[in-house]
Amino acid sequence: MPKITDRGIANIYTKLETEQRTNPSVKIGQAQALEILAAVGDRSGWSAASALKELQKPGLTQQAQIDIAKKGLSATERRDLEKILDAGTVPLEPSARQFLEAVIGRTSPQPPNPPVGNADLKIQGNQTSGLSGFAKAGDSIEAINLSAAPSGRLTLEDTMVIGKADAAGQFKNAKLTGDQAMQEGDLIRMRARHADGTAGDWVTVKAEGLGTADTRNAAVAIFRIGLTDAGNGKINVANINASRQVSEPGAQLQLTNVRTGEKTKVTIDDKGSFPAGFSIPGKPGDVFSVAATDGKNNTSFATEVGKLTVPGGAPATGDLIKDPALHKDELNTDGTPKFSTKRFTGPLFKDGVSPKDTQQGQIGDCYFPSAISAIAQANPDALQKMIKDNGDGTYTVNFKEKDWMSGNYKDVPIKVDGDLYVRSWGGPLYGATLGSDKGEKTMELWFPLVEKAYATWKGSYNAIGNGGMSSDVFQEVLGKDGQDMSIKYANPDTLWKTLKTAIDNKQPVSAGTYGDDQDALYTNTGVHSDHSYSVLGYKEVNGEKLVTIRNPWGETEPAGNGANDGIFDLPLKDFQKLYQTLMYTN
Amino acid sequence: MAKPPEPLQDVLPKATWVFDAEVVEVLKQGPAPEKKEARAGASDTGQKTASQTVKIKVNRVLRGEPVKEMIVEKPEAGYALRAGNHGPFLIDDSKVILGRYGPDTYAFSKLEAAIAAKK
Repeated sequence: MPKITDRGIANIYTKLETEQRTNPSVKIGQAQALEILAAVGDRSGWSAASALKELQKPGLTQQAQIDIAKKGLSATERRDLEKILDAGTVPLEPSARQFLEAVIGRTSPQPPNPPVGNADLKIQGNQTSGLSGFAKAGDSIEAINLSAAPSGRLTLEDTMVIGKADAAGQFKNAKLTGDQAMQEGDLIRMRARHADGTAGDWVTVKAEGLGTADTRNAAVAIFRIGLTDAGNGKINVANINASRQVSEPGAQLQLTNVRTGEKTKVTIDDKGSFPAGFSIPGKPGDVFSVAATDGKNNTSFATEVGKLTVPGGAPATGDLIKDPALHKDELNTDGTPKFSTKRFTGPLFKDGVSPKDTQQGQIGDCYFPSAISAIAQANPDALQKMIKDNGDGTYTVNFKEKDWMSGNYKDVPIKVDGDLYVRSWGGPLYGATLGSDKGEKTMELWFPLVEKAYATWKGSYNAIGNGGMSSDVFQEVLGKDGQDMSIKYANPDTLWKTLKTAIDNKQPVSAGTYGDDQDALYTNTGVHSDHSYSVLGYKEVNGEKLVTIRNPWGETEPAGNGANDGIFDLPLKDFQKLYQTLMYTN
Repeated sequence: MAKPPEPLQDVLPKATWVFDAEVVEVLKQGPAPEKKEARAGASDTGQKTASQTVKIKVNRVLRGEPVKEMIVEKPEAGYALRAGNHGPFLIDDSKVILGRYGPDTYAFSKLEAAIAAKK
């Protein structure tokens, strides 16, 4: 036996030597190395037993174990470890040898993991310092954090360039940043982008070495889950926006039918969606509680993500939540309403959120649907996230209100039911979803409910139906300060640049026309006075600058713009003549 | 006032005449309506423009007795007319222009289809 000075280490080593004499196959493995390190760590204020307990904590990385041991390492103990490594009589397994060598600073803490990947990209080691590996010289390394992406609006192709392979084909310590920053246990998908623009196959790794435990559960974009009645006691479950994830690949979702208690589990596929043809037992009107696990967190599915309702069920009876009063134009002289309500039970979202979904009703709130349509163009996920189906015939719409003292925005949750004021023929009186489907069981509901919640928040449809500004709506939906720019006096280049910058930065943009003083300008132009339009984009055709605009009526536009869908291109010079104010967010 | 046009099925029954016509002359302008209070830059404030009496030249009659021209009233509304403005005019029996935006309220194709369906 090498001469070991520290009594604790000596006791352990003597025991191992004794065992090895009777059983020559005994070696120092990870477990024995931890016992030795516990004896080293006993100077950190712990007993060897408590140090061992600390070192054996679930989820503790090897680096953290080494750090604990190093903290208590004395010069004598260092020499003892050197003797065990260099002159010991009990053989060491390679991993245990490298572990102990790391404690005394001879080698890197981790045994070099075999690289993972494909012919284009190989990832090596853990991610303590970032992502490292090999590709072809000059390749860009693109990555996306699949564990963080479902919460945002990234598609699977929305990667971030995290590094570049050097002349030897090596890249080191590349990192995802911002919302994409890696946490322990996150799934990171990467590929190499070659100099000719082509990309190699994806490589996916689970991030290690970033913390003591994987604490981020699989995020679920519940607003992308669509439930539809299959008609045979089954409900089809699908991702309504297949270019984006419902959750991270490999995550398990549990859908519990609140009526029957029946639970169905499903594993999310490689694209972050449900397997094709996935269905669950249920019927229209059933409510499903959704929970998820990444295999480490929420494994019992105790924490619910949210609830979803299968559209088309029998409506709950009675007024669930008091409806906002009608606009004064729709009240009789005695204050009684000229219109009644009908309960709508269609799906919140049919195919996600589109700027073409919104249709202004018979109310003077053009600034509202034009703002919502602009947000739907720039940031559809913000709208999908702001509304939640409570599963009981009610919905919660979350607005933002600025605290002018602090400058911060606070959440304003508004709860509404599915009752909408209707015309004699049954279609909605106020905001509706554009298109021929105005059915009470089938119409997509997100826009009319967001407008109803807005009226509820402000006091009534009358409170929102006498004009307003889209920039206020931008603030109240996104929690970002709105900006107004006078178009008439703007330098055309400045106007064009402002508009382009806002659209390129995925900020919503709208434009308002002049009021009564300029009305004669508008007749026969296809553009209306005192009106607000969404600005959906811009383009340059043969050197002419064009602004793409949408009328929130979903129709009526200047001639020569194709189908009468309210969407048209206007030359910048005409835009500057007909429009008064440009509104956008910072 | 930028509410959408009234549903055609609500307006068409009130129309004694439906013309394809053009404004020849603005004969009279009514008093300016009361100014609505609104923030600068606000849209859909409901501000109306003055009533007008205008002479229109009729190019085509889609409904009603044939006439060559007619003097009609544009009520206080969210649009204004000037010579040369043209399009479909829906006129009631008091010779008042119907439709929230006068000749810009409904497309010919929509009107023609609705009138044909009534026949």
